[in-house]
Amino acid sequence: MLEANGVTIKFGGLVAVNHVNLKIRDKQITGLIGPNGAGKTTFFNCISGVYTPSEGTVIFDGRHIEGLRPYQICQAGISRTYQVINLFWKMTALENVLVGMHPRMKGGFLTDMFKTPAVRREEKEAKEKAYEWLKFVGLEKYANDPASSLPYGGQRLLEIVRGLASNCKILLLDEPAAGMNSGEKEEFDRLLQKILDMGVTILMIEHDMKLVMHICQYIYVLEYGKLLAEGVPEEVQNNPEVIRAYLGGED
Amino acid sequence: MFFTLLISGLVIGSIYGLIALGYSMIYKSSGLLSFMQGDIMTLGAFLGITFYSYAGLPFPVALLLVVLISIALGFAIEKGVIRPLLNKNTMAIYIVLATIAVSYIVQNGSMLVWGTITLNFPSIFGISTIKVGNISFQPEALMCIVVGFFCMFLLQIFMNKTRIGTSMRAASMDAMAAESCGIDVSLSTGLSWGLSAGLAAIAGMLIGPIYGVYTTLGATIGRKGFSSAVIGGYGNMYGAIVGGILLGLVETFGTSYVSSTYRNLIAYVLLLIFLLLKPTGIFNEKAIRS
Amino acid sequence: MDKTKKMNPLMLAVIAACIGLPFVFMGAPFILLILCYIEIYIIAVSGLDIVFGYCGQISLGHAAFYAIGAYGSVLLHKYYNVPVFFSMLIGAAIGAVIGAIVAYTCSNLVFHFLSLATQAVGEIVYILISHSPGNITGNFVGMYTDSVSIFGFKLDNQFKFYWFGLVCVLIFLALKQALINSRTGRAFMAIRENVKAADGMGIDVRMYKVKAFAMSAFYTAFAGALVTHMTKYASPDSFLYKQSVMFLTMLLFGGTGSLWGPIVGSISVLVINESLRDLQNLQMLVFGVLMLIVIIAIPGGIYGTAKEYYDNLKAKKSAGKTDAGTAVSEKKGV
Repeated sequence: MLEANGVTIKFGGLVAVNHVNLKIRDKQITGLIGPNGAGKTTFFNCISGVYTPSEGTVIFDGRHIEGLRPYQICQAGISRTYQVINLFWKMTALENVLVGMHPRMKGGFLTDMFKTPAVRREEKEAKEKAYEWLKFVGLEKYANDPASSLPYGGQRLLEIVRGLASNCKILLLDEPAAGMNSGEKEEFDRLLQKILDMGVTILMIEHDMKLVMHICQYIYVLEYGKLLAEGVPEEVQNNPEVIRAYLGGED
Repeated sequence: MFFTLLISGLVIGSIYGLIALGYSMIYKSSGLLSFMQGDIMTLGAFLGITFYSYAGLPFPVALLLVVLISIALGFAIEKGVIRPLLNKNTMAIYIVLATIAVSYIVQNGSMLVWGTITLNFPSIFGISTIKVGNISFQPEALMCIVVGFFCMFLLQIFMNKTRIGTSMRAASMDAMAAESCGIDVSLSTGLSWGLSAGLAAIAGMLIGPIYGVYTTLGATIGRKGFSSAVIGGYGNMYGAIVGGILLGLVETFGTSYVSSTYRNLIAYVLLLIFLLLKPTGIFNEKAIRS
Repeated sequence: MDKTKKMNPLMLAVIAACIGLPFVFMGAPFILLILCYIEIYIIAVSGLDIVFGYCGQISLGHAAFYAIGAYGSVLLHKYYNVPVFFSMLIGAAIGAVIGAIVAYTCSNLVFHFLSLATQAVGEIVYILISHSPGNITGNFVGMYTDSVSIFGFKLDNQFKFYWFGLVCVLIFLALKQALINSRTGRAFMAIRENVKAADGMGIDVRMYKVKAFAMSAFYTAFAGALVTHMTKYASPDSFLYKQSVMFLTMLLFGGTGSLWGPIVGSISVLVINESLRDLQNLQMLVFGVLMLIVIIAIPGGIYGTAKEYYDNLKAKKSAGKTDAGTAVSEKKGV
């Protein structure tokens, strides 16, 4: 579904990501792991259009998407969350989800201003749908509160559901479980399963090995911008290179 | 003709440059824009007339007094207006508007004190013109250019070589980290606003004898100073002066060889061209884009 | 929903004032003139609110759009005999196009440098109308023009103009509210709140900035056309840099990003400014001091601060009723 071929990202002379080949399979959760500074988030930023790769191609549904702007990539069907939560703080939770639905709504500048019947209908349906999305992650009681007033875990969930609201085919999650306690993580595990059941494919950066090994069907390991290993969880877990990288990273 | 134009271009250019230096300093030290430089320059010129002409003090003493008063004023404005707003975490627009309010107060306050007519700043040197070959010019013009360059070098050295300068730069990059390194951030930003006001006052003292002094003297120059700062590279000390000189020359020669109707247009068109095509300016100052 | 119900007595008072005031002051042309100016400023400042309050993009050059609307309309009427009402609409449309061009070219500039760029645009327009090629604008002398006429009905005094102005205000405010509560309006706010995330959510940031600027410029330009056809005279004096600052001051006095902020701001600043007129030389000085006091004391603006106070009060009340401590809202990331 999504294929990165020889993706390289350079900043000046520094090579942050070096010839990475990666393939995300349909309706699976693919994990992207590696020590801090391995280039995981940079790679994410490249897929989602924040950076243009210096070399290599990214193909999504048979279409080249490298070099597109972030909004075009979102419109193409790839949504994301951020390592540092990036919500629209002063807008309500419901409005945040509605902004997420932006690419699939049709209201234009003039039709919005003159509130044509079609726009009215769309707006009403969108609000109902957005409310359902909030229910999906159990945030409906915060619908009319500003995003900044949500508890931390709720903000993470809101960001995920804002991404889902665009009806994306692929959801990119950047350390979604960071800061969650073990109870929340279990719940999050179930949420990911529900998202998969909806037919959305997930690529996830995550540091929590237990979570990654449990839920991901396939895992890629990055180190110093290079692909160190790939495979199903058992393979990766027993790969001596990976063990060395992680143990080496510890001291 | 050519040399006369060259000199008047350099004169107005170094004035733009001095104003731009102030902008760059404030930007470097606090990441803010100040819209009151021009009117502080007018105030400096008025104070200069008062001390030099009315009180009869020698020019260097008058200059020193004016600069010190302006530095104190700039410092007080930072402490009394800008700092409280920053502490309240208000939107940056409020700080922009606050500096505009201060400029209204300074401009209209000086109008009350010194009136609306153009005052004549008496000549500083006994002689009225210097003649080299068949070119003649005011000695004040020469002083203007020399002082402009002198201030630039002094500031560049001050910012890069002295302890206070270093701490000012550190404070602008990361106030929190600077604070934890024992730098008095509040003092250093106050100082940079003070020094910018001092620079503006010097500009006023220099241009007074050449242009005369009136309440709106600084308003246009203040706005054109932004063009100089952007042309040179906003936040760069050399850039400020080079941008100022360049603008002064283009304006003077353009007016004389092409058309004088659109003299004031040049600065704003150049500002837009640089912002859109080369926002980092001639000196490639990286501070400008997010 | 129950908030609007509670606002009802206040709403009624506002409606009564809108209808009653012109009759009360029918014999006082100066006060009628102020009322008309208030209407015009409400439109202009609401326009600025779209681009600044909602989309978060600063403009220190809205006097340029004010001037383009005014001069566009006057020139079209003078040289091409376009009937005044249509000339106003075309003038405003020209303003919108120029606004779109400015936004398109400046879309990469962040806050401070956008303010410098828009200020430069304001200066350029001022220079062009005061040094026009072939003196078509009458330069500093200015030019006289006709009053608005609709279907042959001339609005040649302030009392008649007031009602026309009121209808314009209602239409413009209604359109603004409609747009704000829609997909487009949410995109504006998303850009204000977080450009990076807005981009990532599929919003074409540049195009939405263009839309916000175009609409904002249309409002302000239309207000400019209104003012010239009310006073039947246009001169560069009304379109100085000061004017841009005035719009911004009104917006911040009232409060940004709301329906009522621009209204409250326009009224309060205009009334303050007019009551200071007797001070003559002191007027701008006192105005500067007042501006500074408001900025430091109530940075949310009059309406913004009042609303926050009212909301807090309500939150406290409801928290007391349900005895739930969950209503505590913590502010962060702002």
